[in-house]
Amino acid sequence: MLSRVAESLFWMSRYFERAENTARFLDVNFNLLLDLNKITHIENPNYWIALILVTSDKERFNSLYETYSAHTVTDYLVFNKNNPNSITSCISLARENARSIIESISSEMWEQVNNLYHYLQSVTPQFVHNDPYGFYKEIKNASHLFQGITDNTFSHNEGWDFIQIAKYLERTDNIARLIDVKYHMLLSEAQSQPEIVEGSEDIIQWMAVLKSCSALEAFRKVYLSKIDPDNILRFLILDRTFPRSINFSVCAAEDALWRISGSSRHRYVNNADRLIGKLEAELSYTAIEDIYAKGLHIYLEDLEQRLVKVGEQVHLTYFAYHTPEIEPLDIEEALPFTGVAGGRANWSQAQQHQQQQ
Amino acid sequence: MSRFFERYEPETRQFFDEVISTEGAPRPHYDKMLQRFAQFSIDDIKARREIVNIFFRNQGITFTVYGEEEGVERLFPFDLIPRVVPSHEWERIEKGLIQRITALNEFLNDIYHAQKILKDKVIPAELILGSQHFRREFVGVNPPLGIYIHVTGSDIIRDKAGNYFVLEDNLRTPSGVSYMLQNRQAMKRAFPVLFDKYKIRPIENYPQELLRTLQEIGPVSRREPNVVVLTPGIYNSAYFEHSFLARQMGVELTEGKDLVVNNNKVYTRTTRGLEQVDVIYRRVDDAFLDPLVFRPDSKLGVAGLVNAYRKGNVTLANAIGCGVADDKVIYSFVPKIIKYYLGEEPILENVPTWLASNPADLKYILANLDSLVVKAANESGGYGMLIGPESTIEEQENFAEMIVANPRNYIAQPTISLSRHPSFFNDTELWGCHIDLRPYVLYGKTITIVPGGLTRVALKRGSLVVNSSQGGGSKDTWVVDE
Repeated sequence: MLSRVAESLFWMSRYFERAENTARFLDVNFNLLLDLNKITHIENPNYWIALILVTSDKERFNSLYETYSAHTVTDYLVFNKNNPNSITSCISLARENARSIIESISSEMWEQVNNLYHYLQSVTPQFVHNDPYGFYKEIKNASHLFQGITDNTFSHNEGWDFIQIAKYLERTDNIARLIDVKYHMLLSEAQSQPEIVEGSEDIIQWMAVLKSCSALEAFRKVYLSKIDPDNILRFLILDRTFPRSINFSVCAAEDALWRISGSSRHRYVNNADRLIGKLEAELSYTAIEDIYAKGLHIYLEDLEQRLVKVGEQVHLTYFAYHTPEIEPLDIEEALPFTGVAGGRANWSQAQQHQQQQ
Repeated sequence: MSRFFERYEPETRQFFDEVISTEGAPRPHYDKMLQRFAQFSIDDIKARREIVNIFFRNQGITFTVYGEEEGVERLFPFDLIPRVVPSHEWERIEKGLIQRITALNEFLNDIYHAQKILKDKVIPAELILGSQHFRREFVGVNPPLGIYIHVTGSDIIRDKAGNYFVLEDNLRTPSGVSYMLQNRQAMKRAFPVLFDKYKIRPIENYPQELLRTLQEIGPVSRREPNVVVLTPGIYNSAYFEHSFLARQMGVELTEGKDLVVNNNKVYTRTTRGLEQVDVIYRRVDDAFLDPLVFRPDSKLGVAGLVNAYRKGNVTLANAIGCGVADDKVIYSFVPKIIKYYLGEEPILENVPTWLASNPADLKYILANLDSLVVKAANESGGYGMLIGPESTIEEQENFAEMIVANPRNYIAQPTISLSRHPSFFNDTELWGCHIDLRPYVLYGKTITIVPGGLTRVALKRGSLVVNSSQGGGSKDTWVVDE
């Protein structure tokens, strides 16, 4: 498979997953505020700032808007073209990647990305405001449909594995960020309003975290109705069977990487395989107490860093357009890792516009 | 006659109408179509239009318009009424094209070897050697089988009397063949019954024929040549076509950065290392192919590609330097070229052409700017053109200045009233719109022409420009056996 095709499959999948996760954050936040509206106001900025923290975008947000409100945060995360992580931007980038490999993916996959893109072009902020539930459901369903179509119309070979790697790396990163931010919020509230930390609002918030991972029902089947933070963290980080837990996602990414390279337990072929294998092994032998001992925030931050490293190694092993035996390595010239697909879009546009006969 | 055709005004005094003869009756090969359309209401037409639009949109069949906001994609305008070409007319076109392309290939082979035609003074040497598309560095290079122009698309028009003429030869990277194929698919979905009524020659084998041609021209030493398509990238207006053809042929679609040259061999970069490439169907202009030889700023090409080509380790389709033969100035010499190499009279005629580089012609051109069509010799896509009867005095003066400053770069032709074909303007009424025809010619061990080609239609009322970049659309084209 051409390296460029593999890379585009990777980013197509990653951006699609990112759009779905953003839709989940927003959807749950609306629901949460409806649950809480007896004690707080829907425009309470505290509940909206968290969504910006999840995406590590505080600076960019502040350069574009003055307040944190339902309106500004929704606009930023759904529509804003200056935000490369907005749902609209992600789907545009997913589509752009799909378009650049349209001959390699199934036409059904292309139609699904293309349909969602055209749907987003037609949606207005007013529409989202009137029916946020319906809108976010549309995005989530579109993503599920895309995955189903991919599984059923695209050969399960190397290309499919790159799609899986991207999806699960992105998902792991998003779950980690979500837990981290919720932890931040509860911590800061505990300092300002100590009386409600142990109260029902806390439980409602943790339920919201579960819901945004579609995990509430699955969680209840395991822990019945004992909704306490320990169990929730145990479930979201360490459960091996739920498809939106960190451990499950890391295992899935590892499986896909190993299928491509032929690595196996105790024997790795490249650094990407080594790093993901190490991460998976650690997760499998970690108890929630180990995480507390290290500190949840530090643990999650470390996890995110390690995921970045895995991504870098995938890039170097399979995508980097560089052949050491032919072209001597020039560090300055090497393509940067972050947002390769997003960043490389413009560099040769002008030349591509050659006149056609 | 159908309700749509009842109200249709063919204006046959001024134009050749493809459907209605000067006597006002439908031509026989359109009888069955008119009968079928007589059964349709406006709602039927709208429903079929919707089927076609959904088909095109789902397939991502769009093109990009330069000079507008980046990334503006439009559906390629498509007209629902197909053009019918009777087989006896087609056979003459086919023979004429085979003759013309054979002669032009001989011409290129000669120009890049002995240059006999220049020594015999059939064509002034300075016109060739001074052409910006003449690649001196390829004199003496031998492409496999001696073929330069593997994929071509000549534009054919009809005048007021219905005679076929060649308007121009596209010998570098002619586009549009994917529209030809998709138009047929769309029509089959929208008008299945109509297909039953005609014996339409199939065109669906084009991708297989293209692949066969490309495999035939591979370097001799390689048994099963590895073929790839080379595209400038997704921002190119013909990108859809590049990916479509790669998919239909089952070969890799590559960009310049996917390829690397080592030891004069070309490889693709894959997730499992390097794989050698034998034939490149390149849709990138010469100037961007190799930054070491042509434009050093090119990001679309592959460093070292030209040397690999000269060594015979990879075949490029089309060869480098073909532009020297589809230049609008050289066009005027094609009848002489046919005569010189084949000893035959041209089967398809040329449009009369005046060369501004010729002092007598220049005088004539400047005196008749209001009635002539003036074209820049090296532009394509309908850019750099003056249509005399539609131009303002100011535009004519501008062109006069440019022509005098650089006469080698301009030619002029009489304004030909292209034939017209009834087309749906909106979905309720038919107007006569000007059309041309671009058949696609494949040249491997033999010459193959898929019957028909792309009929382009000027969907702006009265407009003569059929290029998609200038508001043109297309129609399905049926070569039918009577």
